[in-house]
Amino acid sequence: MKPFDIVIVGGGGAGLYAAMEAMKTNTALNIAVLSKVYPNRSHTSAAQGGANAALANKAKDDTVEMHIFDTIKGSDYLADQDAVEVLCSEAPKIIRELENIGTPWSRMEDNTIAQRPFGGAGRPRCCYCSDKTGHTILQTLYEQCLKKGVKFFNEYFALNLSVSGSRSNGLIAMNMKSGKVEAFPAKTVIFATGGYAKMYWNRSSNAAGNTGDGQAIAYRAGIPMKDMEFVQFHPTGLRKSGLLVTEGARGEGGYLLNKDGERFMARYAPEKMELGPRDLVSRSLETEILEGRGFDSPAGKYLHLDLTHLGADLIKSRLPQIREMSMNFEGVDPIEEPIPVRPTAHYSMGGIDTDNQTRTVMEGVYAAGECACVSVHGANRLGGNSLLDILVFGRIAGRTAAEEAGKFTPNTISEAELTEQLQDIRGGMHAAGHYERYGELREELGQTLALNVGIYRESSLLQKGIADIEELKERFKKVRIFDTSDVFNTNLMQVLELKNMLDLAETVAAGAYARQESRGSHTRTDFPVRDDANWHKHTLATLVKGKVTLGEKPVTMGRYELQERTY
Amino acid sequence: MTLPTDQHTEGKKDVTFRVFRFNPQVDSKPYFDDYTIPVEKGITVLRSLNYIKEHIDGSVSFRAFCQAGICGSCGMRVNGLSQLACTTQVWDVLAKSREPGVIKVEPLRNLPLIKDLIVDMDPLVDKMKHYSNWVASTMPEAEMGKKEFLISEEEFLRYDKATDCILCASCVSECSILRANKEYVSPAVLLKSFRMSVDSRDSLHEQRLAELVKDHGVWDCTHCYRCQESCVKSIPIMDAIHGIREDAIESRGMKDTSGSKHAEAFMMDIEKKGKLIEATLPIRTNGVVWTLQNLLPMAVKMIMKRRTPPPPPLVKSAKGIKIFRLMFREMTEHVKQDHKSHQ
Ligand SMILES: Cc1cc2nc3c(=O)[nH]c(=O)nc-3n(C[C@H](O)[C@H](O)[C@H](O)COP(=O)(O)OP(=O)(O)OC[C@H]3O[C@@H](n4cnc5c(N)ncnc54)[C@H](O)[C@@H]3O)c2cc1C
Ligand code: SF4
Ligand code: SF4
Ligand code: FES
Repeated sequence: MKPFDIVIVGGGGAGLYAAMEAMKTNTALNIAVLSKVYPNRSHTSAAQGGANAALANKAKDDTVEMHIFDTIKGSDYLADQDAVEVLCSEAPKIIRELENIGTPWSRMEDNTIAQRPFGGAGRPRCCYCSDKTGHTILQTLYEQCLKKGVKFFNEYFALNLSVSGSRSNGLIAMNMKSGKVEAFPAKTVIFATGGYAKMYWNRSSNAAGNTGDGQAIAYRAGIPMKDMEFVQFHPTGLRKSGLLVTEGARGEGGYLLNKDGERFMARYAPEKMELGPRDLVSRSLETEILEGRGFDSPAGKYLHLDLTHLGADLIKSRLPQIREMSMNFEGVDPIEEPIPVRPTAHYSMGGIDTDNQTRTVMEGVYAAGECACVSVHGANRLGGNSLLDILVFGRIAGRTAAEEAGKFTPNTISEAELTEQLQDIRGGMHAAGHYERYGELREELGQTLALNVGIYRESSLLQKGIADIEELKERFKKVRIFDTSDVFNTNLMQVLELKNMLDLAETVAAGAYARQESRGSHTRTDFPVRDDANWHKHTLATLVKGKVTLGEKPVTMGRYELQERTY
Repeated sequence: MTLPTDQHTEGKKDVTFRVFRFNPQVDSKPYFDDYTIPVEKGITVLRSLNYIKEHIDGSVSFRAFCQAGICGSCGMRVNGLSQLACTTQVWDVLAKSREPGVIKVEPLRNLPLIKDLIVDMDPLVDKMKHYSNWVASTMPEAEMGKKEFLISEEEFLRYDKATDCILCASCVSECSILRANKEYVSPAVLLKSFRMSVDSRDSLHEQRLAELVKDHGVWDCTHCYRCQESCVKSIPIMDAIHGIREDAIESRGMKDTSGSKHAEAFMMDIEKKGKLIEATLPIRTNGVVWTLQNLLPMAVKMIMKRRTPPPPPLVKSAKGIKIFRLMFREMTEHVKQDHKSHQ
């Protein structure tokens, strides 16, 4: 294949914005977007809440400055302040730009873009389109990319970077329709493959494919991962699937109850009760479960989110989505019975280490969106800042790669390397001696992560988690692929995703074990306070000789001094 | 069976999933495989398929991603009806199964088959491109990001529902015209086209419409309502189709020489709706050209403006037909009088 100037891996919000911007920057460039699902299926579509920008449409006194401060404070001071400044000051412009190209934002009475309050923000600055914000943003970007004639390679599964020395030659990917392994020689590669929170499997709100593929590929190529131990949990995931019951249910007056029928939030947040901040409520649910006050079920322990006292009318008119979800995914009608819930892994703050221009340490390789860690979210992401992140840094990635592509001479990817890759992913896996079931390994990985690298962490638990992951990696060597065909082998794809999750899980557990403090989403019961003297720094995890090796990186400070984070 | 059970539910049912199988590498024609598993209340068709794939037959192939009814990946036919596997409850389907205890799972129709339950979505994407399913902003690129368009809630509501579409292709699979003519624009693409055309930020209205009134376009629709009935997001797709037709008549009038098409379509509508012989009356009395110029735009408009509710799909009830007849007669009279006073 003719070498590309830019290969973008991922067709979510970050990847599509990058593609659009790259084409705008230089129309002569040869650009490809690869995605393992049709771009409009990407997980960006699941974001309901909205995207933050200090447009000051709703609160006239809102400013970019306030948005910056909220974000830094929310991050528990682990975000890089220069990066946050880029994020927040670009926000109004990019939200308007999205509006200008057709995003159907909900509207205020004065016909400007509607905004609403969101957790951790001092002003109502979350721009939204009903409860389908991510979906409509993704649709709009996809439509614009089709308009611009972006070259899509849909249902291509990225396998690895081809690397010579300190440079990448491009990407190697499998065409799902044919099963062929194909080369994408490229001057530059942008990773925009989304998050890795699905490694908690059915204890996660994420799509099945949020398996951290891009991060794992970069990690295997020697690029460091940053702050991987920071995984955000949402308090109310459905018990069976981990799918999200949004805050709206509690906002309308829903109760959280334990098996004794007690409104247990009274113990943890006597004033705010069910409406305390996300991490606090998550920790409270987890404590109830750990202390034996949860309900039992083969799908694991859980608690009740009770809406029955709200009455059928209110539930039907204000919470139709939530009702539908709980009927569809739990078989429970919240008008009649409480919804079974428990905390669910929701967002990955960590990711591929990049600078503010989305560059990684490998020349010509960039990363943006949830798969990257710039870092703008630090130890805890604020709701509504992630959609913003993927747009702002997706655009920067597209522009930077377009500007820098000219610097690099194209390399080639040899036939031999492709054959080797094919051998690697298929070789032996159908054969005798391979008996491990990927479904079981995947479930066990999720379980050990939730138990040992979950909301509450502690030295001995983390050691157990690390040992479990190692054992699972050992068992993975004997994994069996039952589908032997080339055409659309989803069995093979899921096995490859599992491998990526296993590789990354190690970095999450190692980072969590090393970080002897509690900060943001990372709570160590044996080190319950934030320790700025020793731990106000980023964790880097790099693969060296097959082993995860930890390093560190200073946090870029700015106008805001370290303060205690209280709400 | 390790599908989780819990205290909310008692009991499980043995369910046989009769799954459509086809692997182009080895099979000369499709066949069905039966998998029987016990399923409790609250389990979706997708979860059952996942179970089958993980525990019984790893080669069963289907798409799924969000598992929450938002990405549109898992469209398939369950007991003959196109829907999302991830939001479809097994017990609900079972209650209506023709063969007790059996649920038939097949790929979507009207799109090329790839393997088992997986069909090729590319034709749909190609149509989205062909019919410019995007907003071509009236704002020059250099000006973007500086200020917002001011858009009223009223305008927003005009396309709000249409933007719910997740491109799952359930409606595509159910469309009666597509079965006969794969080139047909498709209901989801009509819906998207409509959504773009009522957006005041868009500048492509004329061009898009010109494409939509050509062969395989909006006039081919038979108003069978199947797309709307099967839409997984309950989007009133027919409103969009009516909207485009009305728009075409209003802004293009008869200047497309596909005028005959309009007539044909109109007659077909009528036939579908009321099986009226009267429909041909004006033509017989006044000739085709007169009918086209006078009666047709008005008739279509009246239906579309919903001054009288459009008759339900494939009306069987005499009541529906009666209303329609009355309306049609009234209209014919009206136009005839007009015609006379003109002369
Ligand atoms: C339920 C839920 C609700 C949320 N609500 C909000 C909200 O209200 N506000 C907010 O700001 N954020 C929210 N978020 C977070 C936000 O949606 C995500 O962080 C963001 O959409 C990620 O976008 P992305 O472009 O980085 O990745 P994604 O949208 O996940 O896209 C990843 C892309 O990479 C591709 N890809 C992955 N692996 C491969 C591979 N191996 N080969 C080829 N392609 C690959 C995929 O096909 C996909 O196209 C929510 C998240 C969840 C789970
Ligand atoms: S109403 Fe028209 S578009 Fe809808 S299914 Fe019938 S023929 Fe197809
Ligand atoms: S219109 Fe409805 S059924 Fe058709 S693709 Fe869109 S969501 Fe699916
Ligand atoms: S898996 Fe996304 S809609 Fe069903």
